[in-house]
Amino acid sequence: MKFTHALAALALAGTAILSTASYAQEQVNLTWQMWGDEKDTPLFQSLADLVTAEYPNIKVTPQFSGWTDYWTRLPVLASSGQIADLVAMQSMRMPSFYGVLEPLDSFIAADNFDKSAFESSIISGLSHEGVQYALPYDVGPWLMFYNRDKFAAAGIAEPKPDWTFDDFKAAAEKLTSGDDYGYAVQAFDFVAQPIALGAEYFNDGNQFDLTNPGYEAAVGKLVDLVAVAKASPVFASGAGAQTGSGRFAAGNAAMVIDGPWSLLTTQASVGFKVGVAPLPRGDGPSRYITAGSGWGISAASQHKDEAFKALKVLTGPKAAEILASAGRALPGRLAEQKFWYDVAAKDIAGARETLQYSFEHSTPFRLNESWNEFENLLTQYLPLALNGDNTTDAVLADIQSQLP
Amino acid sequence: MTLIEDTAVATSAPVTRPRRRSGPREGRTAFFFLLPSLLGVILFLVLPIIASLVLSFTNWKLLGKPAFVGFQNYVRLFTADPQFWTVLRNTLFFTAEYLVLNIIISVGLATWIASLKRGQRWFRVVFFLPTFTPGIAVAIVWMLIFAPGGFFDFIMKSLSLGVPNLLTDQTLAMQAVIIVSLWANVGYNTVLFNAALDMVPPSYLEAAKIDGASAWDRFWKIRLPLISPTLFFGTVMTAITSLQVFDQIYVMTRGGPGNATATLGYAIYQRGFQNFQMGYASSIAWVMFALIMALTALQFWLQRKWVHYDN
Repeated sequence: MKFTHALAALALAGTAILSTASYAQEQVNLTWQMWGDEKDTPLFQSLADLVTAEYPNIKVTPQFSGWTDYWTRLPVLASSGQIADLVAMQSMRMPSFYGVLEPLDSFIAADNFDKSAFESSIISGLSHEGVQYALPYDVGPWLMFYNRDKFAAAGIAEPKPDWTFDDFKAAAEKLTSGDDYGYAVQAFDFVAQPIALGAEYFNDGNQFDLTNPGYEAAVGKLVDLVAVAKASPVFASGAGAQTGSGRFAAGNAAMVIDGPWSLLTTQASVGFKVGVAPLPRGDGPSRYITAGSGWGISAASQHKDEAFKALKVLTGPKAAEILASAGRALPGRLAEQKFWYDVAAKDIAGARETLQYSFEHSTPFRLNESWNEFENLLTQYLPLALNGDNTTDAVLADIQSQLP
Repeated sequence: MTLIEDTAVATSAPVTRPRRRSGPREGRTAFFFLLPSLLGVILFLVLPIIASLVLSFTNWKLLGKPAFVGFQNYVRLFTADPQFWTVLRNTLFFTAEYLVLNIIISVGLATWIASLKRGQRWFRVVFFLPTFTPGIAVAIVWMLIFAPGGFFDFIMKSLSLGVPNLLTDQTLAMQAVIIVSLWANVGYNTVLFNAALDMVPPSYLEAAKIDGASAWDRFWKIRLPLISPTLFFGTVMTAITSLQVFDQIYVMTRGGPGNATATLGYAIYQRGFQNFQMGYASSIAWVMFALIMALTALQFWLQRKWVHYDN
């Protein structure tokens, strides 16, 4: 009897030793959720393979959903416990979603991880109240895309980095004739352009203050360009975020505000030469907001240490080089930006000067937890001002009344 | 011929079947047969409904833990929300206009198809086609047609009609939504009413014709009363779906321009999935539920005045 007891104890101890031993070598499968479509799969799979090459026991599986669906699904996945280990996050949505991510500061400190290798505006963009929640893979300021062929045909000089709103307005008006517009306004322009003109949509307490004279005047300038000068078509509330880019690509509008993230796909899909310039400035000095995306670790992940190892590789120099050379992202890592400039964007006039000028004059992108609501209200209400149904001040007051 | 058939049917109609009472054993068997779908209903219908009622008394933001706030959401809805009454008015306006137009057009089409000597089946299929096209796809295509500088603007310009762009005009945006809804959904009621019209006994119409009733009289005094139960069903169902309108608005206008097309269905989506105020969105959903219940009850009460059941 005693013998069997001893045997059983031995067997138990044996399995315990075995299981700890296997734990150290344990295969860890991480899921990685991200927006994008099927054609992005090989590119991101090659990044996931970098992780396995460096840490053979970690396997990362990317999962894609469309951009819009991604943001509807994210909170649902998070609250139902089905969120992936690695989660893609965009800087503008950080105030709404930082809660689903694990703070990275302790990992960064324990690892002596060097944040200064990244562009500073996007490092702060992917943090919330001073806490880092994600590491960036791309960054970019909003820029003015312009149709170089149309500028040349109209005999207008191409914009200089420090061009003013008056220069922009004159060019837009000159390029407008019949059904062709000099510019195609989109909803987000009412965020990026007022900032470039020196206006603020927030008060000092980081709350919306849309009825301050500076912001009203800046929005009014853009509205006048549409409603009075008719140099841009009105956008409809159902598609305020995309129609301008579509018109630009179709050669129907000569200028549109967009970012480096869509610069190469735009150039590849159009039959004319695309140029880029910083957003036009006001009377004061230039200033530009940047946005970007990165990946963080889900607060619910069971494998946070492995996830951070994977994250370092996914946002590391080699991954940045791959994404940059493929033209998928202007890297958040400063040293690897050259691959984007020299390989992917080598045919785009002014790309390097414009982007470097914009980064030099970047300003923090101020956001709060109602940001999403604000952007939706801009899209929904601004058409009233653009088609002259209501004044700019009244529309802004209406939007302000619906924000907390 | 038809007269003889009818009388034959009439005489054989009152068949007296022995009523069987099911015993407890059979009841239990029936219960087990029903169990799979009962579980489905409880899991995917009853529980979510109860959950949404509970949520409507919380401040759940989708992420994080909800806290009970009592009637605060409802108080805010009826007293503080600057949008709620506009949204309610838009919903009722859409329902009223869409319902009336839908019923008139579908009855008209159904009567026209029923009067055709040939090709009835083809027309039924043609008008039914949009019904089994996904609503989102329909709305996207129409959105592109109505978009500023789109096909519709081109046609209006070619005809030198000074019609402003539908989607950016405060009064016309709702009309655009109604046009698309009609295009997509009239076919269902058309087929429904057409089937009902085909069931109207030709003998009645023949008899009325012999007595000298005009086509107009035959329509108003014989066909319409005889299809009134189907008409009632179509009206109730159309009213319910139009109070819940969402797809078209989501794709075409996002509630805009301004709040011109913001309806209850869209407001629920906007509050819940864009602003993450799940508790508040649930309270709007319950107000919508109550509204639909009340209007449906009203219709059932009104049916006594206009719906004729034969037996």
